[in-house]
Amino acid sequence: MGEEGTGGSVHLLCLAASSGVPLFCRSSRGGAPSRQQLPFSVIGSLNGVHMFGQNLEVQLSSARTKDTTVVWKSFHDSITLIVLSSEEGTSELKLERLLQMVFGAMEALSGFAEAMGTGFVSLMVSGRVVSATEGWWRLGTPEAVLLPWLVGSLPPQAARDYPVYLPHGSPTVPHRLLTLTLLPGLELCLLCGPRPPLSQLGPQLLERWWQPVLDPLRACLPLGPRGLPYGFPLHKDILGLLLLHLELKRCLFTVEPLGDKGPSPEQRRRLLRHFYALVTSTHFPPEPLEKVEDDVSRAQLPRACYLVLGPGEPGTGLRLIALQLGLRLLLLLLAPQSPTHGLRSLATHTLHTLSPLL
Amino acid sequence: MARPPAHGSVVVPDWHETTEGKEYLACILRKSRRRVFGLLERPVLPPPVAIDTASYKIFVSGKSGVGKTALVAKLAGLEVPLVHHETTGIQTTVVFWPAKLQASNRVIMFRFEFWDCGESALKKFDHMLLACKENTDAFLFLFSFTDRASFEDLPGQLARIAGEAPGVVRMVIGSKFDQYMHTDVPERDLTAFRQAWQLPLLRVKSVPGRRLADGRTLDGWAGLADIAHVLNGLAEQLWHQDQVAAGLLPTSAENTPS
Repeated sequence: MGEEGTGGSVHLLCLAASSGVPLFCRSSRGGAPSRQQLPFSVIGSLNGVHMFGQNLEVQLSSARTKDTTVVWKSFHDSITLIVLSSEEGTSELKLERLLQMVFGAMEALSGFAEAMGTGFVSLMVSGRVVSATEGWWRLGTPEAVLLPWLVGSLPPQAARDYPVYLPHGSPTVPHRLLTLTLLPGLELCLLCGPRPPLSQLGPQLLERWWQPVLDPLRACLPLGPRGLPYGFPLHKDILGLLLLHLELKRCLFTVEPLGDKGPSPEQRRRLLRHFYALVTSTHFPPEPLEKVEDDVSRAQLPRACYLVLGPGEPGTGLRLIALQLGLRLLLLLLAPQSPTHGLRSLATHTLHTLSPLL
Repeated sequence: MARPPAHGSVVVPDWHETTEGKEYLACILRKSRRRVFGLLERPVLPPPVAIDTASYKIFVSGKSGVGKTALVAKLAGLEVPLVHHETTGIQTTVVFWPAKLQASNRVIMFRFEFWDCGESALKKFDHMLLACKENTDAFLFLFSFTDRASFEDLPGQLARIAGEAPGVVRMVIGSKFDQYMHTDVPERDLTAFRQAWQLPLLRVKSVPGRRLADGRTLDGWAGLADIAHVLNGLAEQLWHQDQVAAGLLPTSAENTPS
């Protein structure tokens, strides 16, 4: 699994400790971020061998091949980080420290939340949640949707302290929604009770917590319009996409994945919205296929469908495809040149590529 | 409270229009538009120029609908909301403003944090008024030239809001001065108010400022020219207050009974 040729590479994998579900993967080569990713099977095996040991109460902490060093580390029984490095002069100790630092950076949000005495903290870019604490993700559906809308619709302010009634969680007693504009367009949001007062969240406290992660914060800014990290590999025919995770009840949505050739963002959004309404009302069940008990009816449920916009409509020839795999439902809007016989494999491939994100 | 300093005695009044002033102002603009700063950011001057920053909290108070949010937006160089709707909670806005001191010829970067809160939220939630008043360095009292009741409410506001903080800077601003033709507050009333309260009283227009050639973007330079007197006034009062508090200025002859 080491790199042939010049320059070592580093792969960092983050997985949920209990399920082995990959949360994110990052790679670099010669010190620069690289798009090259490890195959899913390799990630699975690396996690599998670590879990196998754990079940037998054996702690696997590192391994070496001819040119690669691998280090595993679990944090609080909830997160497993794995790093593989073929860089010269790499030591297990150095990699272990790296994992400690990575976990430290992941903890910034939850550490901040804990210090502020609330479990509900998120980072938003133009009304989209780009990162949030467990507590924030567990908010009931109306408020989980309405709070980002509210924040995204308000004119810019350095900070806010708004009373909010949560339709699901607290319809009669107001909570406080605090928002802090760390960078133009990037807001830190806290949902809390009487404490902390807004004045406590002054520039000095914010600088102490957030200045050390300024670069990752800046990297969040392009997520506003595009919804995907910069340089994320997507097929050029994709004009828009909507990915839903049916159990987490989260979605990833963009109508500006690459350039702006073709239909306007408004038209793309409208087409995807209509297609979503169509497939969820007529073809796909509202809940994951796995939850449909009866084997026979499960076998009869569709897993994919597509349509091509006919002549006479604006956007003639545009393709729309929906694909459901496990807990995920993916809808794609594609350019007219995309061959219809390749739609399903393109959708499947895209769904696999997007899976680490959601 | 010490008598307010005379206009132009602490800060050089038209410095922002000089060549030197414009060089400093350039750091709060980008392509002729006002720059918006996040809480982790601050204006950056070219390396040889390092200046001190003085930060102040300013609570903007006034009857509902007088234009508190619009005034703060104007000071920050943002779009003034076209339709009035009540502010639902506290919102703060940061404005950076470089100014030159008369006494030392030093340039100071003033960082004003304006606290604006809707009146019904203030009445409904006790903690909001407390949060706004806590450790504030100045109170900005707003009335509207088109709403006589808001002018008559000033003495009440001054007592209710700033009554427990007699040593803190207080300034009065009349908004919607662009509609002076239809004013409900004649000049003689302003004169009487000035004599009774000995407070600085400024006027601002509430119309959106000039736009750039594209017809949409607000012209940052023109916007600054519109509000420089307010920011200089605040800088002057606040710097003077700090000097008095630090015992750097004689206070004996200037004290008024409060």
